[in-house]
Amino acid sequence: MTGMSLPPIWTILKWALALSIAAVALFPIWWMVNVVFALPGEPVSLNPRLWPTSIPAGIDKIRLILTETDFLRAYGISLLYAVLTIAGVLIIGSLAAFEFALFDFPGRKLLFGIVMLSLMVPTAVTIIPTYLLTSQLGWLNTMQGLVIPGVASAFGLFMLIQFMRAIPMDMIEAARLDGASHFQVYWHVALPLCSNALVTLAILTFMQTWGNYMWPLIVSSRPEMYTVGQVVGLFNSPLSHQTVDTVMTANLLAAIPPLLFFLIFQRKIVEGIAMSGTKG
Amino acid sequence: MAFLDIAAVTKSFGAQGVLKDVNLSIERGEFVVFVGPSGCGKSTLLRIITGLETVTSGTISIEGEVMNDVEPARRGTAMVFQSYALYPHMTTFQNVSFSLRMAHRARDVIVDKVQKAAAILQLDKLLERKPGQLSGGQKQRVAIGRAIVREPRVFLFDEPLSNLDAELRVQMRAELMELHRRLGTTMIYVTHDQVEAMTLADKMVVMHAGRVQQAGKPLDLYDDPDNRFVAGFVGSPKMNFLPARVQSSGPNALGLAGVGGAGEATLPFTAPPGLAGPVEIGLRPERMRPLPPGAPPPPNSIVLEGQVTLVEELGSESYVHMVLADGTPVTLRAGRDETVEGPSLRVAADPRHALLFGPDGERIRSQGGSKR
Ligand SMILES: Nc1ncnc2c1ncn2[C@@H]1O[C@H](COP(=O)(O)OP(=O)(O)O)[C@@H](O)[C@H]1O
Ligand SMILES: [Mg+2]
Repeated sequence: MTGMSLPPIWTILKWALALSIAAVALFPIWWMVNVVFALPGEPVSLNPRLWPTSIPAGIDKIRLILTETDFLRAYGISLLYAVLTIAGVLIIGSLAAFEFALFDFPGRKLLFGIVMLSLMVPTAVTIIPTYLLTSQLGWLNTMQGLVIPGVASAFGLFMLIQFMRAIPMDMIEAARLDGASHFQVYWHVALPLCSNALVTLAILTFMQTWGNYMWPLIVSSRPEMYTVGQVVGLFNSPLSHQTVDTVMTANLLAAIPPLLFFLIFQRKIVEGIAMSGTKG
Repeated sequence: MAFLDIAAVTKSFGAQGVLKDVNLSIERGEFVVFVGPSGCGKSTLLRIITGLETVTSGTISIEGEVMNDVEPARRGTAMVFQSYALYPHMTTFQNVSFSLRMAHRARDVIVDKVQKAAAILQLDKLLERKPGQLSGGQKQRVAIGRAIVREPRVFLFDEPLSNLDAELRVQMRAELMELHRRLGTTMIYVTHDQVEAMTLADKMVVMHAGRVQQAGKPLDLYDDPDNRFVAGFVGSPKMNFLPARVQSSGPNALGLAGVGGAGEATLPFTAPPGLAGPVEIGLRPERMRPLPPGAPPPPNSIVLEGQVTLVEELGSESYVHMVLADGTPVTLRAGRDETVEGPSLRVAADPRHALLFGPDGERIRSQGGSKR
């Protein structure tokens, strides 16, 4: 029996632990799928099953939700909210980071200090003034009201500054000597060189925006501006007369985009979280 | 007025004076090398010429036009950085053509110019590669290509070869000289390596502590340095400096005592009036000969005696390091056939080759007719 060696005990334990955690994490999602793709009433019966029993029943429920409620519109709103926020965060963050990281201007340290200070202020503190401001601008129940307060991301700025600082000054100067204008240096040199950070920031911003419940709830009270999160919230509200499986279907539909997103960008997300040192 | 004129330029970073009253005239087509120890302000001067730094006072003019307030890109200067500063996300073609693209030149003009530069620099096969896929020497050539397509009036190189290994450095040096011959453009080259400076320069500018110490042909600086710094900096192994004291002074005869301790010497030298006190004699290592034991020294020579500490055998010659009785280190270059028997050695030098320096480090030249 030479040459055969058992995997060390620690490896086995590590895998066992990882698998159990994965099972715990995956079970709710699996249960959601199980409830949706089952005949009505079955999941709450005395004898529930651990696997889907009726695909057509699930499809029916999904169709019901998509046609009978404003779910599709909410998808659109959420998607637009996420995409516009990402665009805003990337554009504003990278422009500001470019100046902060690579150039000196009067008041740079002070301004940077203020921005960093805002990282330490919890959302709960700023949300009421932000609401008042948005309301005074007449932006309640509008897309700009939803998006604009979120586009100046101190966290994004901080992350991009770290990246842009790593760009050698020689390269910026070489571009300047080559006749690039200030904006061309940003566009042709600085931006491409931190594309990794931009992708990561876009992903983190997407996850954050899609999952943002509080701000949309506050700023848009009209149903036609509801995001997916709010619509699902309606299904879940105590006074709702929906059955468990309808609620679960709504939850599933809400979870699909981030799940797909996660599967596609899995590696980048993990890298990004490691890079930014925070949880998305 | 010269092609490129640097007049009374000073530069301070805060309280730190980095350049002090720099004056320099550079002619069209010259290959000028700024050389000096690290931190003496060479890069700063280069960056001022190209406009990446502003002067604290003084003017830079090219072809009679004052450049102080002209945008870096419009000065007609192109710079090659020590780090190459290639854009890592662009191919060689994109790197070389960057300035042309920024100037919105027509596509066929861009292709044409890049191909011409690529042909000169043998980059033809590398145009689609990114900097990460290039060797050090190739990156260097791309960086030069980026400068060439701008067709500058002046090329500026900031220690461009210091990231290459010794062999490649020699090869690139030859290529640069060939490039200069071919383009005929004025080039200013910065290095801390005096050997590199000697081999490349039409005009060598030795800098130290923010000042130009001396500018001129490399061999003139070697033979006829203005001060102790230039004398010691140019040449390898370094010039030897021997402390001495003026004892007597007459026409074409300067009597010195206490040479390297207790030696005496008479230099064929007419001292300026009133020269007295301590001075230093400068003697190049190749101007000294070891004396075989017991042999009489040649008449009128400076004779030094000391203990050999190290002999570097280089094959064709040896560098003999010794210390004199007063602790002064002396290095001499001995031929293969000259016997160097330690531990104690006598060497002789022809006093006509001795240079004299005052206590302030300035060169003391012979008065009147004699060149030295
Ligand atoms: N941007 C700057 N800010 C402050 N000091 C600087 C700056 N650039 C250069 N210096 C200082 O100026 C001196 C000369 O630098 P430099 O011109 O780079 O020398 P060299 O190229 O001869 O090695 C150094 O002491 C350096 O620390
Ligand atoms: Mg330098």
